[in-house]
Amino acid sequence: MILQGKRVALPSAPVVHKRFEAHAEATPDAVAVVCAGRRTTYAELNARANRFAHHLIARGHGRGAKVGVCLDYSTDMVVAILGTLKAGAAYVPFDPSYPAARLRLLLGQVPGLALIVASPATAGLVASAAVEVVDIEGLSDHLATLPATAPDVRITGDDVCYAVFTSGSTGTPKTAAVRHEGWFNLLNWLTLEYGLHAGSHNLVVSAFGFDLSQRSLMAPLFCGATQYLMASRNFDAAMAYRMLDQHDIRVVHCASSTLYLLVDWETARGGDALTRLDYMLFGGEPLHAERLTDWARRAGNTCTLLHQYGVAECTDVATSFDLAGYRPGVHDIAPVGTPAYNTDIHVLDDRMRQVAPGEYGEICISGPSVGAGYLNGAGPESDRFTTVVADGEPLRLYRTGDRGHVNEAGDLVIAGRMDAQVKVRGMRIDPADVERALGRLAGVRQAAVVVDRTDAGDAELIAFLVPEDGDLDDNDVRARLLEALPRNMVPTRFRNVPRIPLSPHGKVDRAALAEELRQAGIS
Amino acid sequence: MITDRVLTIWRRELQRDDIAVDDNFFAVGGQSVIMAKIQWAFIEELDVEIPVDQMFRNPTVASIAAYIESLHT
Repeated sequence: MILQGKRVALPSAPVVHKRFEAHAEATPDAVAVVCAGRRTTYAELNARANRFAHHLIARGHGRGAKVGVCLDYSTDMVVAILGTLKAGAAYVPFDPSYPAARLRLLLGQVPGLALIVASPATAGLVASAAVEVVDIEGLSDHLATLPATAPDVRITGDDVCYAVFTSGSTGTPKTAAVRHEGWFNLLNWLTLEYGLHAGSHNLVVSAFGFDLSQRSLMAPLFCGATQYLMASRNFDAAMAYRMLDQHDIRVVHCASSTLYLLVDWETARGGDALTRLDYMLFGGEPLHAERLTDWARRAGNTCTLLHQYGVAECTDVATSFDLAGYRPGVHDIAPVGTPAYNTDIHVLDDRMRQVAPGEYGEICISGPSVGAGYLNGAGPESDRFTTVVADGEPLRLYRTGDRGHVNEAGDLVIAGRMDAQVKVRGMRIDPADVERALGRLAGVRQAAVVVDRTDAGDAELIAFLVPEDGDLDDNDVRARLLEALPRNMVPTRFRNVPRIPLSPHGKVDRAALAEELRQAGIS
Repeated sequence: MITDRVLTIWRRELQRDDIAVDDNFFAVGGQSVIMAKIQWAFIEELDVEIPVDQMFRNPTVASIAAYIESLHT
Protein backbone atom coordinates (compact mmCIF):
# COMPACT_ATOMS: atom_id res chain seq x y z
CA MET A 1 0.00 0.00 0.00
CA ILE A 2 1.31 3.43 -0.89
CA LEU A 3 -0.11 6.91 -0.30
CA GLN A 4 1.35 9.53 -2.58
CA GLY A 5 1.50 13.20 -1.68
CA LYS A 6 0.74 15.81 -4.31
CA ARG A 7 3.81 16.70 -6.39
CA VAL A 8 4.65 20.37 -6.01
CA ALA A 9 7.86 21.74 -7.53
CA LEU A 10 10.38 23.34 -5.18
CA PRO A 11 12.74 26.19 -6.10
CA SER A 12 16.21 25.17 -7.31
CA ALA A 13 17.66 26.20 -3.94
CA PRO A 14 14.96 25.30 -1.40
CA VAL A 15 16.55 27.17 1.49
CA VAL A 16 14.24 28.14 4.34
CA HIS A 17 15.71 31.47 5.43
CA LYS A 18 15.66 32.80 1.85
CA ARG A 19 11.88 33.00 2.22
CA PHE A 20 12.30 35.04 5.39
CA GLU A 21 14.77 37.31 3.57
CA ALA A 22 12.28 37.85 0.74
CA HIS A 23 9.70 39.05 3.29
CA ALA A 24 12.30 41.30 4.92
CA GLU A 25 12.86 42.84 1.48
CA ALA A 26 9.17 43.13 0.57
CA THR A 27 7.70 44.15 3.96
CA PRO A 28 10.61 45.49 6.03
CA ASP A 29 8.37 47.26 8.53
CA ALA A 30 6.13 44.27 9.24
CA VAL A 31 6.53 42.90 12.77
CA ALA A 32 8.52 39.67 12.81
CA VAL A 33 8.78 38.91 16.52
CA VAL A 34 6.91 40.04 19.63
CA CYS A 35 8.49 38.98 22.91
CA ALA A 36 8.07 40.44 26.40
CA GLY A 37 6.28 43.45 24.95
CA ARG A 38 9.10 44.24 22.47
CA ARG A 39 8.42 44.32 18.74
CA THR A 40 11.11 43.60 16.16
CA THR A 41 10.48 44.28 12.49
CA TYR A 42 11.50 42.04 9.62
CA ALA A 43 14.19 44.54 8.56
CA GLU A 44 15.60 44.76 12.09
CA LEU A 45 15.57 40.99 12.63
CA ASN A 46 17.18 40.39 9.24
CA ALA A 47 19.98 42.88 9.98
CA ARG A 48 20.64 41.36 13.41
CA ALA A 49 20.69 37.83 11.98
CA ASN A 50 23.05 38.92 9.20
CA ARG A 51 25.45 40.38 11.76
CA PHE A 52 25.36 37.20 13.78
CA ALA A 53 26.04 35.19 10.60
CA HIS A 54 29.07 37.35 9.82
CA HIS A 55 30.32 36.75 13.35
CA LEU A 56 30.02 32.96 12.97
CA ILE A 57 31.71 32.98 9.56
CA ALA A 58 34.58 35.16 10.83
CA ARG A 59 35.11 32.59 13.61
CA GLY A 60 35.31 29.82 11.02
CA HIS A 61 31.82 28.42 11.74
CA GLY A 62 30.35 28.70 8.27
CA ARG A 63 28.80 26.20 5.92
CA GLY A 64 28.44 22.73 7.42
CA ALA A 65 29.17 23.81 11.02
CA LYS A 66 26.93 22.72 13.91
CA VAL A 67 25.96 25.50 16.30
CA GLY A 68 24.37 24.69 19.66
CA VAL A 69 21.64 27.06 20.81
CA CYS A 70 20.85 27.00 24.52
CA LEU A 71 18.50 29.96 24.98
CA ASP A 72 15.08 30.71 26.41
CA TYR A 73 12.46 31.85 23.92
CA SER A 74 13.48 35.38 23.00
CA THR A 75 14.23 37.61 20.03
CA ASP A 76 17.88 36.67 20.58
CA MET A 77 16.97 33.02 20.00
CA VAL A 78 15.42 33.85 16.62
CA VAL A 79 18.50 35.95 15.75
CA ALA A 80 20.79 33.03 16.65
CA ILE A 81 18.76 30.54 14.60
CA LEU A 82 18.45 32.72 11.50
CA GLY A 83 22.08 33.85 11.79
CA THR A 84 23.25 30.24 12.00
CA LEU A 85 21.25 29.31 8.89
CA LYS A 86 22.53 32.35 7.00
CA ALA A 87 26.10 31.31 7.79
CA GLY A 88 25.33 27.98 6.11
CA ALA A 89 25.50 26.16 9.43
CA ALA A 90 22.94 23.99 11.22
CA TYR A 91 21.59 24.76 14.68
CA VAL A 92 21.07 22.22 17.44
CA PRO A 93 18.56 23.13 20.19
CA PHE A 94 19.74 22.51 23.74
CA ASP A 95 16.54 22.91 25.75
CA PRO A 96 17.23 25.00 28.88
CA SER A 97 14.33 23.29 30.66
CA TYR A 98 16.39 20.07 30.72
CA PRO A 99 18.63 19.29 33.70
CA ALA A 100 22.33 20.11 33.24
CA ALA A 101 23.29 16.41 33.43
CA ARG A 102 21.03 15.60 30.48
CA LEU A 103 22.43 18.53 28.50
CA ARG A 104 25.94 17.22 29.26
CA LEU A 105 24.97 13.85 27.76
CA LEU A 106 23.43 15.54 24.70
CA LEU A 107 26.53 17.73 24.20
CA GLY A 108 28.47 14.53 23.60
CA GLN A 109 26.11 13.50 20.80
CA VAL A 110 27.02 16.28 18.36
CA PRO A 111 30.33 15.45 16.66
CA GLY A 112 32.19 18.60 15.60
CA LEU A 113 29.96 20.95 17.59
CA ALA A 114 31.40 24.42 16.83
CA LEU A 115 30.16 26.46 19.76
CA ILE A 116 27.13 27.08 21.93
CA VAL A 117 25.10 30.25 21.93
CA ALA A 118 23.78 30.96 25.43
CA SER A 119 22.67 33.82 27.66
CA PRO A 120 23.55 34.73 31.26
CA ALA A 121 20.41 32.79 32.29
CA THR A 122 21.41 29.58 30.49
CA ALA A 123 25.22 29.53 30.29
CA GLY A 124 25.55 27.62 33.58
CA LEU A 125 23.53 24.72 32.15
CA VAL A 126 26.08 24.06 29.40
CA ALA A 127 29.20 24.99 31.35
CA SER A 128 30.44 21.40 30.95
CA ALA A 129 30.77 21.86 27.17
CA ALA A 130 34.17 21.22 25.64
CA VAL A 131 33.52 24.01 23.15
CA GLU A 132 33.21 27.78 23.56
CA VAL A 133 29.98 29.07 25.11
CA VAL A 134 29.12 32.48 23.66
CA ASP A 135 26.89 34.92 25.56
CA ILE A 136 24.73 36.47 22.84
CA GLU A 137 23.75 39.36 25.11
CA GLY A 138 27.37 40.23 25.85
CA LEU A 139 28.13 40.09 22.14
CA SER A 140 25.78 42.90 21.11
CA ASP A 141 28.38 45.71 21.03
CA HIS A 142 30.67 43.61 18.84
CA LEU A 143 27.83 42.51 16.55
CA ALA A 144 26.85 46.15 15.98
CA THR A 145 30.19 46.69 14.21
CA LEU A 146 29.53 43.92 11.64
CA PRO A 147 27.78 44.36 8.25
CA ALA A 148 23.96 44.32 8.29
CA THR A 149 23.87 42.79 4.82
CA ALA A 150 23.50 39.08 4.13
CA PRO A 151 26.77 37.13 3.89
CA ASP A 152 27.50 35.54 0.54
CA VAL A 153 27.18 31.84 1.30
CA ARG A 154 26.09 29.22 -1.20
CA ILE A 155 23.62 26.85 0.49
CA THR A 156 21.80 23.95 -1.17
CA GLY A 157 18.67 22.05 -0.26
CA ASP A 158 20.84 19.15 0.83
CA ASP A 159 22.60 21.15 3.57
CA VAL A 160 21.56 20.36 7.13
CA CYS A 161 19.51 23.14 8.73
CA TYR A 162 18.87 21.76 12.22
CA ALA A 163 19.29 18.61 14.28
CA VAL A 164 17.17 17.50 17.24
CA PHE A 165 17.66 14.79 19.85
CA THR A 166 15.51 11.68 20.00
CA SER A 167 15.61 8.83 22.47
CA GLY A 168 17.78 5.87 21.40
CA SER A 169 17.21 2.15 21.79
CA THR A 170 20.73 1.55 23.08
CA GLY A 171 20.19 4.07 25.87
CA THR A 172 22.07 6.85 24.06
CA PRO A 173 20.08 9.72 22.52
CA LYS A 174 20.27 10.06 18.73
CA THR A 175 20.79 13.37 16.92
CA ALA A 176 18.45 13.47 13.92
CA ALA A 177 19.58 15.87 11.19
CA VAL A 178 17.09 17.64 8.93
CA ARG A 179 17.91 19.13 5.51
CA HIS A 180 16.83 22.51 4.13
CA GLU A 181 14.96 20.84 1.26
CA GLY A 182 12.82 18.84 3.69
CA TRP A 183 12.12 21.79 5.96
CA PHE A 184 11.32 24.04 2.99
CA ASN A 185 8.97 21.40 1.59
CA LEU A 186 7.19 21.11 4.97
CA LEU A 187 6.71 24.86 5.40
CA ASN A 188 5.77 25.34 1.73
CA TRP A 189 3.14 22.59 2.04
CA LEU A 190 1.61 24.10 5.19
CA THR A 191 1.59 27.56 3.60
CA LEU A 192 -0.02 26.54 0.30
CA GLU A 193 -2.28 23.73 1.49
CA TYR A 194 -3.73 25.68 4.42
CA GLY A 195 -3.52 29.17 2.94
CA LEU A 196 -1.17 30.60 5.55
CA HIS A 197 -0.31 34.24 4.86
CA ALA A 198 1.20 37.43 6.30
CA GLY A 199 -1.65 37.52 8.83
CA SER A 200 -1.09 33.95 10.08
CA HIS A 201 0.46 35.12 13.35
CA ASN A 202 1.79 32.31 15.54
CA LEU A 203 2.29 31.59 19.24
CA VAL A 204 4.97 29.10 20.31
CA VAL A 205 3.71 26.90 23.17
CA SER A 206 6.04 23.87 22.92
CA ALA A 207 9.45 23.27 24.50
CA PHE A 208 12.47 24.23 22.37
CA GLY A 209 13.85 20.66 22.18
CA PHE A 210 10.86 19.28 20.22
CA ASP A 211 11.02 19.02 16.44
CA LEU A 212 7.58 20.61 16.26
CA SER A 213 9.02 23.71 17.92
CA GLN A 214 11.41 24.23 14.99
CA ARG A 215 8.40 24.29 12.66
CA SER A 216 6.46 26.56 15.01
CA LEU A 217 9.43 28.93 15.21
CA MET A 218 9.95 29.19 11.45
CA ALA A 219 6.40 28.94 10.03
CA PRO A 220 5.31 32.57 10.61
CA LEU A 221 8.64 33.90 9.29
CA PHE A 222 8.21 31.71 6.21
CA CYS A 223 4.87 33.35 5.38
CA GLY A 224 5.61 36.93 6.48
CA ALA A 225 3.58 36.81 9.68
CA THR A 226 4.39 37.70 13.30
CA GLN A 227 5.92 35.31 15.80
CA TYR A 228 4.74 35.68 19.41
CA LEU A 229 7.06 34.24 22.04
CA MET A 230 6.34 33.75 25.72
CA ALA A 231 9.00 34.93 28.15
CA SER A 232 8.70 31.71 30.14
CA ARG A 233 11.09 28.78 30.28
CA ASN A 234 8.27 26.34 30.95
CA PHE A 235 4.84 26.07 29.35
CA ASP A 236 2.52 28.44 31.19
CA ALA A 237 -1.16 27.85 30.39
CA ALA A 238 -2.35 31.11 31.98
CA MET A 239 0.22 33.16 30.09
CA ALA A 240 -0.43 31.32 26.81
CA TYR A 241 -4.17 31.81 27.08
CA ARG A 242 -3.80 35.49 27.91
CA MET A 243 -1.55 36.03 24.86
CA LEU A 244 -4.03 34.22 22.62
CA ASP A 245 -6.79 36.39 24.04
CA GLN A 246 -4.98 39.71 23.67
CA HIS A 247 -3.21 39.35 20.33
CA ASP A 248 -4.39 38.55 16.83
CA ILE A 249 -2.80 35.09 16.87
CA ARG A 250 -4.15 32.71 14.21
CA VAL A 251 -2.05 29.53 14.42
CA VAL A 252 -0.77 27.27 17.22
CA HIS A 253 1.40 24.16 16.77
CA CYS A 254 1.51 21.84 19.80
CA ALA A 255 1.57 18.32 21.22
CA SER A 256 -1.88 16.80 21.78
CA SER A 257 -1.40 16.97 25.57
CA THR A 258 -0.94 20.76 25.35
CA LEU A 259 -4.02 21.04 23.17
CA TYR A 260 -6.15 19.33 25.87
CA LEU A 261 -4.75 21.74 28.48
CA LEU A 262 -5.61 24.79 26.39
CA VAL A 263 -9.06 23.48 25.53
CA ASP A 264 -9.76 22.64 29.20
CA TRP A 265 -8.57 26.10 30.17
CA GLU A 266 -10.94 27.76 27.70
CA THR A 267 -13.82 25.50 28.67
CA ALA A 268 -13.38 26.27 32.38
CA ARG A 269 -12.83 29.98 31.77
CA GLY A 270 -15.55 30.49 29.21
CA GLY A 271 -13.40 32.45 26.74
CA ASP A 272 -13.24 32.16 22.96
CA ALA A 273 -9.57 32.79 22.11
CA LEU A 274 -9.07 29.23 20.83
CA THR A 275 -12.30 29.00 18.87
CA ARG A 276 -11.27 32.21 17.08
CA LEU A 277 -8.02 30.69 15.78
CA ASP A 278 -7.61 29.59 12.17
CA TYR A 279 -5.59 26.44 12.93
CA MET A 280 -4.25 24.27 15.67
CA LEU A 281 -1.78 21.68 14.37
CA PHE A 282 -1.09 18.86 16.79
CA GLY A 283 -0.15 15.22 17.15
CA GLY A 284 2.77 13.22 18.42
CA GLU A 285 0.81 10.76 20.54
CA PRO A 286 -2.44 8.76 20.34
CA LEU A 287 -5.32 11.23 20.24
CA HIS A 288 -8.19 11.28 22.76
CA ALA A 289 -10.63 13.01 20.43
CA GLU A 290 -13.39 12.80 23.03
CA ARG A 291 -11.54 15.40 25.10
CA LEU A 292 -12.05 17.87 22.26
CA THR A 293 -15.58 17.04 21.09
CA ASP A 294 -17.64 19.44 23.22
CA TRP A 295 -15.28 22.32 22.59
CA ALA A 296 -15.06 21.58 18.84
CA ARG A 297 -18.86 21.74 18.55
CA ARG A 298 -19.16 25.17 20.16
CA ALA A 299 -21.14 27.63 18.05
CA GLY A 300 -18.94 30.01 16.09
CA ASN A 301 -15.84 27.83 16.39
CA THR A 302 -13.72 28.70 13.34
CA CYS A 303 -10.61 26.78 14.38
CA THR A 304 -9.59 23.93 12.10
CA LEU A 305 -7.94 21.07 14.00
CA LEU A 306 -5.18 19.37 12.01
CA HIS A 307 -4.27 15.98 13.45
CA GLN A 308 -0.77 15.23 12.17
CA TYR A 309 1.74 12.43 12.11
CA GLY A 310 5.47 12.44 11.54
CA VAL A 311 8.92 11.63 12.89
CA ALA A 312 11.90 13.85 13.63
CA GLU A 313 14.04 11.80 11.22
CA CYS A 314 11.77 12.85 8.34
CA THR A 315 11.36 16.55 9.07
CA ASP A 316 8.66 16.43 11.69
CA VAL A 317 5.37 16.08 9.76
CA ALA A 318 4.48 13.47 7.14
CA THR A 319 0.67 13.48 7.06
CA SER A 320 -2.27 15.64 8.12
CA PHE A 321 -5.98 15.10 8.78
CA ASP A 322 -8.74 17.66 9.29
CA LEU A 323 -10.36 16.38 12.48
CA ALA A 324 -13.76 17.68 11.30
CA GLY A 325 -13.83 14.50 9.18
CA TYR A 326 -13.45 12.24 12.22
CA ARG A 327 -16.43 9.95 12.82
CA PRO A 328 -16.12 8.37 16.27
CA GLY A 329 -18.67 5.64 15.46
CA VAL A 330 -16.87 4.67 12.25
CA HIS A 331 -13.23 5.31 13.09
CA ASP A 332 -11.76 3.33 15.93
CA ILE A 333 -8.75 5.65 16.04
CA ALA A 334 -8.67 9.21 14.71
CA PRO A 335 -6.81 9.02 11.35
CA VAL A 336 -3.72 11.09 10.59
CA GLY A 337 -4.75 11.64 7.00
CA THR A 338 -2.84 12.05 3.78
CA PRO A 339 0.79 12.91 2.99
CA ALA A 340 2.47 16.29 2.75
CA TYR A 341 3.53 17.48 -0.71
CA ASN A 342 6.15 15.33 -2.41
CA THR A 343 5.94 12.82 0.44
CA ASP A 344 5.04 9.14 0.01
CA ILE A 345 3.86 6.83 2.78
CA HIS A 346 4.60 3.14 2.22
CA VAL A 347 2.97 0.48 4.38
CA LEU A 348 5.32 -2.52 4.20
CA ASP A 349 5.55 -6.00 5.66
CA ASP A 350 8.61 -7.41 7.42
CA ARG A 351 10.17 -8.27 4.05
CA MET A 352 9.73 -4.71 2.77
CA ARG A 353 6.86 -5.69 0.45
CA GLN A 354 3.77 -3.51 0.17
CA VAL A 355 0.79 -4.79 2.14
CA ALA A 356 -2.69 -4.88 0.60
CA PRO A 357 -5.01 -1.89 1.15
CA GLY A 358 -6.40 -1.98 4.68
CA GLU A 359 -3.74 -4.34 5.98
CA TYR A 360 -1.35 -3.41 8.74
CA GLY A 361 2.35 -2.93 8.22
CA GLU A 362 5.31 -0.77 9.11
CA ILE A 363 5.00 2.85 8.03
CA CYS A 364 7.88 4.00 5.86
CA ILE A 365 8.46 7.46 4.43
CA SER A 366 10.14 8.60 1.21
CA GLY A 367 10.56 11.99 -0.41
CA PRO A 368 12.49 15.20 0.30
CA SER A 369 11.58 15.07 3.99
CA VAL A 370 13.81 12.05 4.63
CA GLY A 371 16.57 13.57 6.75
CA ALA A 372 20.33 13.32 6.63
CA GLY A 373 20.41 10.55 9.25
CA TYR A 374 21.95 10.80 12.70
CA LEU A 375 24.90 13.07 13.38
CA ASN A 376 26.12 10.51 15.93
CA GLY A 377 26.01 7.87 13.20
CA ALA A 378 26.60 4.34 14.36
CA GLY A 379 24.00 2.24 16.13
CA PRO A 380 21.09 0.05 15.11
CA GLU A 381 18.82 3.06 14.48
CA SER A 382 20.87 4.12 11.45
CA ASP A 383 19.73 0.96 9.63
CA ARG A 384 16.25 2.46 9.53
CA PHE A 385 17.48 4.81 6.80
CA THR A 386 17.54 2.50 3.81
CA THR A 387 17.45 2.51 0.03
CA VAL A 388 15.03 0.38 -1.98
CA VAL A 389 14.54 0.07 -5.72
CA ALA A 390 11.26 1.52 -7.03
CA ASP A 391 10.49 1.61 -10.76
CA GLY A 392 14.12 0.76 -11.44
CA GLU A 393 15.37 3.79 -9.48
CA PRO A 394 16.96 3.83 -6.04
CA LEU A 395 14.61 5.35 -3.46
CA ARG A 396 15.70 6.58 -0.05
CA LEU A 397 13.30 5.35 2.60
CA TYR A 398 12.98 5.72 6.36
CA ARG A 399 11.41 2.89 8.34
CA THR A 400 9.60 4.63 11.20
CA GLY A 401 8.96 1.62 13.43
CA ASP A 402 5.32 2.75 13.65
CA ARG A 403 2.55 0.29 12.79
CA GLY A 404 -0.48 1.35 10.83
CA HIS A 405 -2.81 0.90 7.90
CA VAL A 406 -4.70 2.90 5.29
CA ASN A 407 -8.48 2.94 5.80
CA GLU A 408 -11.23 2.81 3.14
CA ALA A 409 -11.23 6.59 2.82
CA GLY A 410 -7.53 6.54 1.96
CA ASP A 411 -6.39 8.01 5.28
CA LEU A 412 -3.45 6.74 7.26
CA VAL A 413 -4.20 5.35 10.73
CA ILE A 414 -1.43 4.78 13.29
CA ALA A 415 -1.90 1.74 15.51
CA GLY A 416 1.22 1.86 17.67
CA ARG A 417 4.91 1.03 17.77
CA MET A 418 6.69 -2.10 16.54
CA ASP A 419 9.20 -1.71 19.41
CA ALA A 420 9.10 -0.58 23.03
CA GLN A 421 9.22 3.17 22.29
CA VAL A 422 6.43 5.38 23.59
CA LYS A 423 5.32 9.00 23.45
CA VAL A 424 4.82 10.78 26.76
CA ARG A 425 3.31 14.25 26.43
CA GLY A 426 4.64 14.40 22.87
CA MET A 427 8.18 13.27 23.67
CA ARG A 428 9.37 10.05 22.02
CA ILE A 429 11.02 7.92 24.66
CA ASP A 430 12.87 4.63 24.45
CA PRO A 431 12.63 2.80 27.80
CA ALA A 432 16.32 1.83 27.38
CA ASP A 433 17.26 5.51 27.68
CA VAL A 434 15.46 5.71 31.06
CA GLU A 435 16.85 2.35 32.19
CA ARG A 436 20.37 3.58 31.58
CA ALA A 437 19.84 6.67 33.75
CA LEU A 438 18.25 4.53 36.49
CA GLY A 439 21.12 2.06 36.35
CA ARG A 440 23.55 4.87 37.12
CA LEU A 441 21.85 5.83 40.37
CA ALA A 442 23.51 4.71 43.58
CA GLY A 443 21.61 1.84 45.18
CA VAL A 444 20.15 0.56 41.90
CA ARG A 445 21.55 -2.80 40.80
CA GLN A 446 19.35 -3.15 37.74
CA ALA A 447 16.32 -1.42 36.25
CA ALA A 448 13.65 -2.09 33.66
CA VAL A 449 11.02 0.34 32.40
CA VAL A 450 7.66 -0.61 30.92
CA VAL A 451 4.80 1.43 29.51
CA ASP A 452 1.37 1.45 31.07
CA ARG A 453 -1.77 3.53 30.53
CA THR A 454 -3.41 5.76 33.12
CA ASP A 455 -7.18 5.63 33.69
CA ALA A 456 -7.44 8.60 31.32
CA GLY A 457 -5.60 6.59 28.65
CA ASP A 458 -2.30 8.48 28.75
CA ALA A 459 0.98 6.61 28.46
CA GLU A 460 3.06 6.46 31.62
CA LEU A 461 6.36 4.83 32.49
CA ILE A 462 6.67 2.30 35.30
CA ALA A 463 10.14 1.46 36.60
CA PHE A 464 11.08 -1.90 38.10
CA LEU A 465 14.13 -1.62 40.30
CA VAL A 466 16.41 -4.29 41.71
CA PRO A 467 17.93 -2.56 44.76
CA GLU A 468 21.52 -3.07 45.90
CA ASP A 469 20.47 -3.30 49.53
CA GLY A 470 17.12 -2.33 51.00
CA ASP A 471 14.07 -1.20 49.04
CA LEU A 472 14.40 2.15 47.28
CA ASP A 473 12.03 5.00 48.14
CA ASP A 474 9.91 6.34 45.22
CA ASN A 475 10.30 10.01 46.03
CA ASP A 476 14.05 9.70 46.50
CA VAL A 477 14.60 7.85 43.22
CA ARG A 478 12.35 10.29 41.37
CA ALA A 479 14.17 13.31 42.82
CA ARG A 480 17.56 11.90 41.81
CA LEU A 481 16.32 10.95 38.35
CA LEU A 482 15.03 14.50 37.79
CA GLU A 483 18.65 15.61 37.99
CA ALA A 484 19.49 13.37 35.04
CA LEU A 485 16.48 13.28 32.72
CA PRO A 486 13.85 15.60 31.20
CA ARG A 487 10.68 15.43 33.30
CA ASN A 488 8.67 13.54 30.67
CA MET A 489 11.23 10.73 30.86
CA VAL A 490 10.93 10.25 34.62
CA PRO A 491 8.67 7.27 35.45
CA THR A 492 5.47 7.97 37.38
CA ARG A 493 5.66 4.80 39.45
CA PHE A 494 8.45 2.63 40.86
CA ARG A 495 8.40 -0.93 42.08
CA ASN A 496 11.15 -2.80 43.94
CA VAL A 497 11.62 -6.35 42.64
CA PRO A 498 14.13 -9.10 43.52
CA ARG A 499 15.08 -9.66 39.86
CA ILE A 500 14.24 -8.54 36.31
CA PRO A 501 12.74 -11.33 34.17
CA LEU A 502 14.65 -11.99 30.96
CA SER A 503 13.43 -13.37 27.64
CA PRO A 504 15.12 -16.46 26.13
CA HIS A 505 17.32 -14.02 24.17
CA GLY A 506 18.58 -12.48 27.41
CA LYS A 507 16.69 -9.21 26.91
CA VAL A 508 14.38 -7.59 29.46
CA ASP A 509 11.05 -9.40 29.24
CA ARG A 510 8.71 -6.41 29.19
CA ALA A 511 5.65 -8.56 28.60
CA ALA A 512 6.36 -10.50 31.81
CA LEU A 513 6.78 -7.23 33.71
CA ALA A 514 3.54 -5.84 32.32
CA GLU A 515 1.83 -9.06 33.40
CA GLU A 516 3.31 -8.68 36.88
CA LEU A 517 1.84 -5.17 37.02
CA ARG A 518 -1.58 -6.48 36.13
CA GLN A 519 -1.41 -9.26 38.69
CA ALA A 520 -0.24 -6.87 41.40
CA GLY A 521 -3.30 -4.81 40.59
CA ILE A 522 -1.44 -1.54 40.60
CA SER A 523 -2.20 -0.77 36.99
CA MET B 1 -3.24 30.33 56.32
CA ILE B 2 -2.08 30.34 52.71
CA THR B 3 0.15 27.31 53.39
CA ASP B 4 -2.81 25.15 54.42
CA ARG B 5 -4.84 26.19 51.38
CA VAL B 6 -1.90 25.50 49.03
CA LEU B 7 -1.32 22.13 50.67
CA THR B 8 -4.99 21.24 50.20
CA ILE B 9 -4.76 22.14 46.49
CA TRP B 10 -1.54 20.12 46.02
CA ARG B 11 -2.95 17.04 47.76
CA ARG B 12 -6.10 17.19 45.67
CA GLU B 13 -4.37 17.72 42.31
CA LEU B 14 -1.58 15.22 42.99
CA GLN B 15 -4.13 12.79 44.47
CA ARG B 16 -1.90 12.07 47.45
CA ASP B 17 -2.68 12.66 51.12
CA ASP B 18 0.88 12.13 52.32
CA ILE B 19 2.39 15.32 50.94
CA ALA B 20 4.30 17.51 53.38
CA VAL B 21 5.06 21.22 53.03
CA ASP B 22 8.72 20.55 52.22
CA ASP B 23 8.16 17.88 49.55
CA ASN B 24 9.42 18.71 46.06
CA PHE B 25 6.56 18.88 43.55
CA PHE B 26 8.35 16.79 40.95
CA ALA B 27 9.73 14.27 43.43
CA VAL B 28 6.19 13.41 44.57
CA GLY B 29 5.14 12.76 40.98
CA GLY B 30 4.15 16.21 39.72
CA GLN B 31 4.27 17.01 36.01
CA SER B 32 3.26 19.78 33.65
CA VAL B 33 -0.42 18.87 33.35
CA ILE B 34 -0.83 18.78 37.15
CA MET B 35 1.07 22.05 37.43
CA ALA B 36 -1.40 23.71 35.05
CA LYS B 37 -4.26 22.42 37.23
CA ILE B 38 -2.62 23.87 40.32
CA GLN B 39 -2.06 27.16 38.51
CA TRP B 40 -5.75 27.17 37.66
CA ALA B 41 -6.72 26.33 41.26
CA PHE B 42 -4.61 29.24 42.54
CA ILE B 43 -6.53 31.60 40.26
CA GLU B 44 -9.93 30.17 41.19
CA GLU B 45 -9.44 29.65 44.91
CA LEU B 46 -6.73 32.10 45.96
CA ASP B 47 -7.43 34.75 43.31
CA VAL B 48 -3.79 34.93 42.31
CA GLU B 49 -2.08 34.05 39.00
CA ILE B 50 1.33 32.51 39.61
CA PRO B 51 3.69 32.25 36.60
CA VAL B 52 4.77 28.67 35.98
CA ASP B 53 8.42 29.72 36.09
CA GLN B 54 7.81 30.87 39.69
CA MET B 55 6.27 27.50 40.49
CA PHE B 56 9.45 25.88 39.20
CA ARG B 57 11.60 28.16 41.33
CA ASN B 58 9.42 27.43 44.36
CA PRO B 59 8.76 23.69 44.08
CA THR B 60 7.49 23.10 47.63
CA VAL B 61 4.25 24.04 49.33
CA ALA B 62 6.21 26.07 51.88
CA SER B 63 8.12 28.12 49.32
CA ILE B 64 5.29 28.78 46.89
CA ALA B 65 3.04 29.75 49.82
CA ALA B 66 5.72 32.19 50.99
CA TYR B 67 5.91 33.57 47.45
CA ILE B 68 2.13 34.07 47.35
CA GLU B 69 2.27 35.77 50.78
CA SER B 70 4.95 38.11 49.47
CA LEU B 71 2.61 39.28 46.71
CA HIS B 72 0.12 40.53 49.28
CA THR B 73 2.57 42.64 51.23
